[in-house]
Amino acid sequence: MKKEHNVTGTETNPANRQPQRKDTRNTGPGRLLIAVYAIFALSATARAGYQIATKFAEAPLAHILSAFAAVVYIVATVSLAKPGRTWFKVSLAAVLTELVGVLVVGAISLFDPIAFPHDTVWSLFGRGYGFVPLVLPILGLLWLNKRRPS
Amino acid sequence: MDGYFYAILIVGLVSTVMCIVAGLMKKAPNDPTIFSVLAVELVLVVYLVGSIVRVAMGEQMAGEAWEFWGYLIVAMMIPLGAVYWAILERTRWSNFVLAAVGVTALVMAARMNQIWY
Repeated sequence: MKKEHNVTGTETNPANRQPQRKDTRNTGPGRLLIAVYAIFALSATARAGYQIATKFAEAPLAHILSAFAAVVYIVATVSLAKPGRTWFKVSLAAVLTELVGVLVVGAISLFDPIAFPHDTVWSLFGRGYGFVPLVLPILGLLWLNKRRPS
Repeated sequence: MDGYFYAILIVGLVSTVMCIVAGLMKKAPNDPTIFSVLAVELVLVVYLVGSIVRVAMGEQMAGEAWEFWGYLIVAMMIPLGAVYWAILERTRWSNFVLAAVGVTALVMAARMNQIWY
């Protein structure tokens, strides 16, 4: 809960704020972000597992990419839920990887559909998933920036 | 698309809209939003029981059976997980977490229908 504005010394004001804002990213909007990441981790893992189990030979590259995307979503989900500086860095790395992944794979799948005959989560900038894979890393970076450890 | 899909479509969308509105009104998860999500769970339970009966009666699904059951079981875990996650921290944002359940169930039900027919 937010403390009321006490009339204390002006110098303690910024110091007062710091301990209240703990080094976590799993409250407020972060909870929604983690929930959406968890859904994507789940669906990407299931999809990649299914693809690799049943039709890996048809398009190994696309299916390895699916598995990679699944790992990125799992790492992002777990790291966002954890407190501390190290987990912040892990989150940042995962979200940046996700952003680069969706942009690169999205662009390649657009210009060279033959290289990606099988859809992955990131194909066509995540069109098969309502473009959420494209929006998610951007929201993730905004949230991480807001909750940057001092 | 069968009756189960339309039931999830309606209940899921109503739940999502309720939770989004409650979140926008800066409310914490309360009985109406939590029960709307549990209603989604209830429809999924009905879908599960109905599907077991259909298979027991000898109906064949077009797609892979294990894929269908996988979707259904995961779909049934999502509302419970979201409610748990939402009551751990009762802020307006948890209502948006609950709002994600309805649409997710809807998408998964559409896929389940594709597998069955």
